Amino acid sequence: MLTELLAPAGNLYKAKIALLYGADAVYIGGKQFSLRARASNFDYSMIEELVKFAHDLNKKVYVTMNMVFHDEDVFGLDEYLLELEKIGVDAIICSNMIVIEKAKALTNLEIHLSTQFSLTNSVLSNYFYKQGVKRVVLSREASLDEIKMIQSKSQTDLEVFIHGGMCVSYSGRCTLSNYTVLRDANRGGCAHTCRWLYNLYEGDSLVSDDYDFQMSSKDLEATNQIKDLLDLKVASLKVEGRMKSIHYIATVINTYRMMIDDYEMNCMRPIEQYQSEIKKAENRLTSHGFFEGETTIEQQLYNSRSEVPTKEFVGLVKAYDYENKELVIQQRNYFEPKDRLEILMPDKTIIQLQAGIIRDEEDLELDAARHPLQIVRIACPIAVMDNSMIRKII
Amino acid sequence: MNIVARLKTKDEIQNMIDLGVNVVMLDTSVFTAKSIFPLNQTAFKEVFQLIHNHKINVYVYINKMIHETDIFELNAWMKFFKEIGIDGIVINDYTVYVIAKEYGLENKVIYQPGTMNTNTFDAMFLEDKIKGMTLSKEITLEEILTIVQSPSKIEYSLVGHGFIDMFYSKRQLITNYFIHKNKKNYKIKNNHQFVLEEKTRDSIYYPILEDNMGTHIFRDKQLQSFEELIQLKDYISDFFIERLFIDDVEYYDTIKAYQNTQVQQKFLDKYHSNFNSGFYYLPTEKTKGERHVD
Repeated sequence: MLTELLAPAGNLYKAKIALLYGADAVYIGGKQFSLRARASNFDYSMIEELVKFAHDLNKKVYVTMNMVFHDEDVFGLDEYLLELEKIGVDAIICSNMIVIEKAKALTNLEIHLSTQFSLTNSVLSNYFYKQGVKRVVLSREASLDEIKMIQSKSQTDLEVFIHGGMCVSYSGRCTLSNYTVLRDANRGGCAHTCRWLYNLYEGDSLVSDDYDFQMSSKDLEATNQIKDLLDLKVASLKVEGRMKSIHYIATVINTYRMMIDDYEMNCMRPIEQYQSEIKKAENRLTSHGFFEGETTIEQQLYNSRSEVPTKEFVGLVKAYDYENKELVIQQRNYFEPKDRLEILMPDKTIIQLQAGIIRDEEDLELDAARHPLQIVRIACPIAVMDNSMIRKII
Repeated sequence: MNIVARLKTKDEIQNMIDLGVNVVMLDTSVFTAKSIFPLNQTAFKEVFQLIHNHKINVYVYINKMIHETDIFELNAWMKFFKEIGIDGIVINDYTVYVIAKEYGLENKVIYQPGTMNTNTFDAMFLEDKIKGMTLSKEITLEEILTIVQSPSKIEYSLVGHGFIDMFYSKRQLITNYFIHKNKKNYKIKNNHQFVLEEKTRDSIYYPILEDNMGTHIFRDKQLQSFEELIQLKDYISDFFIERLFIDDVEYYDTIKAYQNTQVQQKFLDKYHSNFNSGFYYLPTEKTKGERHVD
């Protein structure tokens, strides 16, 4: 069994981008029952369109239903599960017994256990296997050694997070957001209270300096662990980030796709090359999380909110005009003539060019592409695929 | 309704008897996070027998998240609990139920994950599997009443008083901060003196505790449930009184107040500034502004 690369998608276009850039499957949230309340969640017609798109590429779509259900949330659950089965989604990802039991009773949907259950051992994964769960998403607190042990004993398939934001708490057990701002962390409303700034006191004595006690975690990045995880033959490698941009998704998924393919073809490049690619997307600082065991200060984020990407996403290629050898670009950030640009294509190709004259749709020459979503054109002698990402080399 | 109290020392057993506590909950040295009286098996057995001799039930608190490397030792403890005849096993991680079942102890298990027992279906699902379920700490009184009045035969419990935890991280957040700041000579592990103050919330202090299991953060005020128990007591089998950060005198006064409604007002007058009613009357929202306006 080949290890799957699983991507997040906050909307239909992001999902298609993820699949085009190398994901084997995407996970999405519906309008109900999902944890990312602020993501642009999918209605039935969008799910249906995505499933068709993915299945045409021989890829998969999973739907998250991983909120913690209160009684008021149960309304419509049966109909929702039946509709997902009718649409043909490949699995649901859930953390609540009510969803597991209802899905088993009403449908033949494949069931994955969400990381919200914080599963960290093979005893529990095998219990869930007997309950009809095909795959478990391991807790991000599991080390690589523990994952090896779990994989060797587990009857379920294992899904392992390899990239993206991390809860500082064990997932699914935190109510910081609930208590501080009444937003339910386990029903999609997390206010990320763990990333706020605090003073630390011992008794009445102030220990910290000007609210510099921070619990924030660096984002997870597993480029150094990918070979081990592929050798273990875990079922799926998962990227976090349904709220992230198309450029982030394209960049991160493309990089891990390269790594997986290169390793399977025995032609791995130096690890720094892959890490350099990932840094082109907006990220917090990254670390290996718990993969090497207990975390240290190297896994914490102190005095730094995010890392500046080494490239700035400035445009999305909507089409290539073969006749005029021009790129038709949807502007995403400011760029101007003579800027050095890099283009990432869905087939992993990367080319560089210097921007020449920029023209708008009326063929007027512009001193800069400055308006979000404006359609502009620049010359490019090489044919470029639709949905390619254009970055400015900073 | 049983009053379940936590024990701090062996010498305190007589106090618990005198206070009329129905159940004493003991910590283990290995699988209890936020422990106040960690016991290895030898010590556990001694304390267990001392309490049992007075016909008071003993529960054990197994609230660590169970990792693969814990499984072997957890089996040994479960065998031990079977041998001594433990009355209840209060668990946070469902793994403990799976292992308890292998020892025929599933009817002793009380599932207390903190956040996950939030609906009537859970009660129906768990009723023929385990002894009891502790209702989640972030649901309203109305939601609690709906669940406990459902037809499930499971025993319901509440952690209804004390500083309630709201965060459990495997990370050593205080240790790491002190290393980052190059601060030395602090006692970090099991130091109950640390509190956090959030930048925009002056003078609100959240206790934070680091132990060998990780880091735990608690609400700034104690939960109290005197009024609510009037409606709930007929449905609740076990009422847990949390002990962390509370001095002994106040803890004993708390137990008395739940045993005797006549002294509740006197108790509140004495300790009036320390309490709130948690989420009993404050439903949480899924998106900002759904229920509450800033």
